[in-house]
Amino acid sequence: MSRLNDLALSEFDNDKRLNDILEMIGRVAALDFSKTLPISEKNDMIDAIGLGLNMLSEELNTNVGERSKLDTVNSKLEKFAYTTAHDLRAPLNSITGLVTLLELTLNPAEDSEVNKYIMQLKKTTDQMKNLVHGILEYSKTDTASIEEQEIDLNEVIEEIIEIDQLLDSAVIKIESVLPAVVFNRAAMDQVIRNLLNNAIKYSDKKKCEIIIRTKEADKHFLICISDNGPGIAREYQEKIFELFNKVESESKVDSHGIGLATVKSVLESVGERIWVESTVNEGATFCFTLKKERQVKDVHTLSGLKK
Amino acid sequence: MYSETTKIKFTFGPDKILYTECSPNTTMTLEDGKESTRISGEMVNYEPRPLLCDLTNVVRMTQDCRKHFAGAEHSATFSKCALIVTSPVSKLIGNFFLGLNKPLKPTRLFNSKEEGLKWLSE
Repeated sequence: MSRLNDLALSEFDNDKRLNDILEMIGRVAALDFSKTLPISEKNDMIDAIGLGLNMLSEELNTNVGERSKLDTVNSKLEKFAYTTAHDLRAPLNSITGLVTLLELTLNPAEDSEVNKYIMQLKKTTDQMKNLVHGILEYSKTDTASIEEQEIDLNEVIEEIIEIDQLLDSAVIKIESVLPAVVFNRAAMDQVIRNLLNNAIKYSDKKKCEIIIRTKEADKHFLICISDNGPGIAREYQEKIFELFNKVESESKVDSHGIGLATVKSVLESVGERIWVESTVNEGATFCFTLKKERQVKDVHTLSGLKK
Repeated sequence: MYSETTKIKFTFGPDKILYTECSPNTTMTLEDGKESTRISGEMVNYEPRPLLCDLTNVVRMTQDCRKHFAGAEHSATFSKCALIVTSPVSKLIGNFFLGLNKPLKPTRLFNSKEEGLKWLSE
């Protein structure tokens, strides 16, 4: 009888311990790491599970704290980068003006050393201006969700191809009709322009070939831009989206490592994703998502929509 | 050579392997970890030696203690480490240690001292 009582008590005790574990899992899922499970001296499987949860909770708590600190530092760094870039604009414009004045005053012969130095100065100033412009554009991505409007992706792409005269340096094929969506127009311009220009900039072929496709997933459209360039090694496929991170390519393309970070920031700020699929020497395909709920069903409301 | 604290027994044998074993229901804190490294260092005369550590009786090891055992000071004291884990809790602690703390010195988990010793002697 006493043995039966012991068994019943033990079962009751185990039920309570398992209930505690369930409660702990719920709390950890809600990122509440304040609870610690009591560990008995039985040294049994339930103790091991309880101890494991305690240790996981402790590790997660540390990681979440560190992540939060890192986010604060990143945010401060981004603000600093924006302020610095903003403050650099005016003196850079002054330098550009002064270089032009210098050129006009000296009027150097085309093959002179002075002319060579002035050209170098102009080129360097332009590079700095591009960098400053890039940082300011990146900082603007927070506002991508503001002022969304109905846009036709076919039109966006055609306009960029025309304005940037991309057909001079690439063959661009649009394989399927792209959807019309609700999105911030300037932000979508940034995304597409960066992806198309990158494909051309990094191309190692005589003729850069770009294919634009739409695929339909369950809840998303996938917009994929493929090129026939050098491809991106697996270890760089995430790094290329980090700010100021660039892959050293054989072509030594002049890059500041801002463009793809901007694209990723734009898309993620509105809940979309971007990634790259690539094999070295076999080109790269950049795909980004657009939620189907963004789709404009009544396409006739859009002006100039091409089918 | 033999030494002990309230929680750990240390034996440094003629095979030049340091053996440690904890008392039943031991909770290891950072202070315990540091004391253990200090005593071990003295026993091996600060020459990195293999360690056979029986975790079976350990019921808890704090996060900072695990970090200490995974870090530079401990790996300067030991060339490699075999952890003996025969209870569910010690297995869990061992797996956390290997997976999350990633010790700097070669470290492996074993179910028996014999297997651990075999690996340490390789």
